Amino acid sequence: MSKTITVKSQEGKSYQFVDDGSPMQGGMKDVYFAPDRSYVVAFFRDKQDFNSKERLTNIVKNYRERIFNQAGGDYWKDLFCWPYDMVEYNGRTGIVVPTYQKHFFFQTGYNPSGNQISSIRGKEKEGKWFASAQFRSKSFKLHLDKSELGDWFKYFLVCIKISRAVRRMHSAGLAHSDLSYKNVLIDPSSGRAAIIDIDGLVVPGKFAPDVIGTPDFIAPEVMSTKHLGKTDPNRKLPSIATDRHALAVMIYMYLLYRHPLRGGKIHDTDPQKDEELGMGSKALFVEHPTDLSNRPKLNQVKPTHLPWADVNKIPYTICGPYLTDLFNKAFIDGLQNPSARPTADDWESALIKTVDLMQPCQNTMCDQKWFVFANTTKPVCPFCGTPYRGQLPVLNLYYKKPDGQFGLENQRLMVYNNQYLYPWHVNRSIFPNEKLTAEQVKPVGYFVFHGGKWQLINQTLTSLKDVSEDKEIPIGSAVELTEGKKILLSTEAGGRLIIVQLVAN
Amino acid sequence: MRRLPVYLLLDTSGSMRGERIEAVKNGLQVLVSKLRQDPFALESVHISIITFDREVKQLLPLTDLEHLQLPEIIPPESGPTNMGEALLMLCDQIDREIIRSTEEEKGDWRPLLFLMTDGKPSDLAKFREAVPRVKTKNFGAVVACAAGAEAVDSFLKELTDTVVHLDTADSSTLMSFFKWVSASIGTGNKSVGTAEEMVLPPPPAEVHLII
Repeated sequence: MSKTITVKSQEGKSYQFVDDGSPMQGGMKDVYFAPDRSYVVAFFRDKQDFNSKERLTNIVKNYRERIFNQAGGDYWKDLFCWPYDMVEYNGRTGIVVPTYQKHFFFQTGYNPSGNQISSIRGKEKEGKWFASAQFRSKSFKLHLDKSELGDWFKYFLVCIKISRAVRRMHSAGLAHSDLSYKNVLIDPSSGRAAIIDIDGLVVPGKFAPDVIGTPDFIAPEVMSTKHLGKTDPNRKLPSIATDRHALAVMIYMYLLYRHPLRGGKIHDTDPQKDEELGMGSKALFVEHPTDLSNRPKLNQVKPTHLPWADVNKIPYTICGPYLTDLFNKAFIDGLQNPSARPTADDWESALIKTVDLMQPCQNTMCDQKWFVFANTTKPVCPFCGTPYRGQLPVLNLYYKKPDGQFGLENQRLMVYNNQYLYPWHVNRSIFPNEKLTAEQVKPVGYFVFHGGKWQLINQTLTSLKDVSEDKEIPIGSAVELTEGKKILLSTEAGGRLIIVQLVAN
Repeated sequence: MRRLPVYLLLDTSGSMRGERIEAVKNGLQVLVSKLRQDPFALESVHISIITFDREVKQLLPLTDLEHLQLPEIIPPESGPTNMGEALLMLCDQIDREIIRSTEEEKGDWRPLLFLMTDGKPSDLAKFREAVPRVKTKNFGAVVACAAGAEAVDSFLKELTDTVVHLDTADSSTLMSFFKWVSASIGTGNKSVGTAEEMVLPPPPAEVHLII
């Protein structure tokens, strides 16, 4: 029998939820929907002590306000599913959380013939579905429908959203403490992501964590000290540094559909001990450049995990130079040395820079549809092997130094047909993040391949100039991209100069 | 990718005929369909079903969720409950089906065992012979479920510390048990607490967890 129950928060706000006797069960909470399903009330099954309640009060009030009640705070509503009130009912503590947005539920789910066997339509798009090779393998009966999978570009957008959200939490001094694909919903068809289950967050020195994380994402130092007592000074518990490990693992998994530490190396013949060592003190990057002992053994890999499990066929370096560098820092230098791990901010900027290196694959049947330009004269899609045919403009970005000279930035922009140019390409003091104004998210120009020529069309740039020809390019007109051409995008402070390189095939 | 072997030992003796066996069949359907909606389970869980009445049969050899088809279960009119023999068969199948880790290859996760009965072992000597053997098989968890008033907990407690007692063996109670089993199988993918080792999720309200 289902009944609607009304509860009041400490501040006297009232909330309703429907109890039909079988709530959805999370790891620690029972979850009930509001009658109009606009929010849920999630009750902790365990009694919350004074400290936990104080933590929850802070999460729904102070910490929430710290992030949401600031200029641009609305931006975060899409990236966090943040609890906004706390209630008590029958001695149980509950939190009021917004319902997940519509695009985080499967529309189609499995492929048509898989849908005959089982259906996940209407279920939450838990990240795990998209982090495993099996669910995109056509030889696995229950693989996801093409419409759910998105293309590779979208996974970069997903990773940017996650990094940005984690960066925001960390800059507010908060650690999520249990980042995993269980606690992040993603929608690869639109490139969106949201962090959920925020009630466990950790404030260094104030609120200690009560979970050590989720398998696959637990940091090595946490794994290798979990046998020690909670108050043992050598015990390592989740923190901002362990979030950084989890974030790196998640990004690696969303881009390469395999785990960075799960390879062929055997640490112990007991599976539990092997797991603890392999994820803990003996953790080793499967793609370590010199220690090859943890490479996946392809004869032991399920066919449904190919080709992704084959690190020689699809090495992490296909993610481009910026991410390769960060993966090295995360899984080699920083694996056992938390202070060497890349920050969420590092990931966000590297991902954004990598997006500028992406090219659409010319094979319309390619599943990934995009690849990162590998800085070679013979670009080839690493997924389907299709070589790029034709002229490929590469724009090298320069910035004006205080002495008036232009210096090369560690940044490039690959051009493709109908690609837009944005303010953050034009001016180095603009970053594509939550701080952009409505005006700054609008494109300022676009690139087309027209009449056998690559051209940049100026839409709104007021001081675009062809430096090679010493000619202004007014709004509504075009400049051709030729080898060695120098184009000044803006004369304002921070305005960039581009030098065109043409790769011909 | 390691497999997570799950063995279901189900009482199909005469007393299970009727509503109870229908509830079990229903429960199995729900279990499989829930696991097929769980990406973690789809990657690792393999299920085997062994039934016991006067005969002991492995109706389903260890099979992944992708290929699994639930077998037909028909209990006999009457007869003994050969739980001991079923446990012996389980031990044999474990030896045959479980991939043990070697120095070269990762094996399976520790298997899970769920045993459900509405009575008690008729073949007590075999049961007592089987129990120590089961204990050497390195199970990740052994859960025994005593369903209904005639089910006897004490024998099951020789097998495992985790005995769930269902006061009634009607369909909704049995269903809640199977839902609980599916949640338990998924535990490996949930957040791990700072304090303890693997914990089972809380049992449904109608169930008494005897530990």
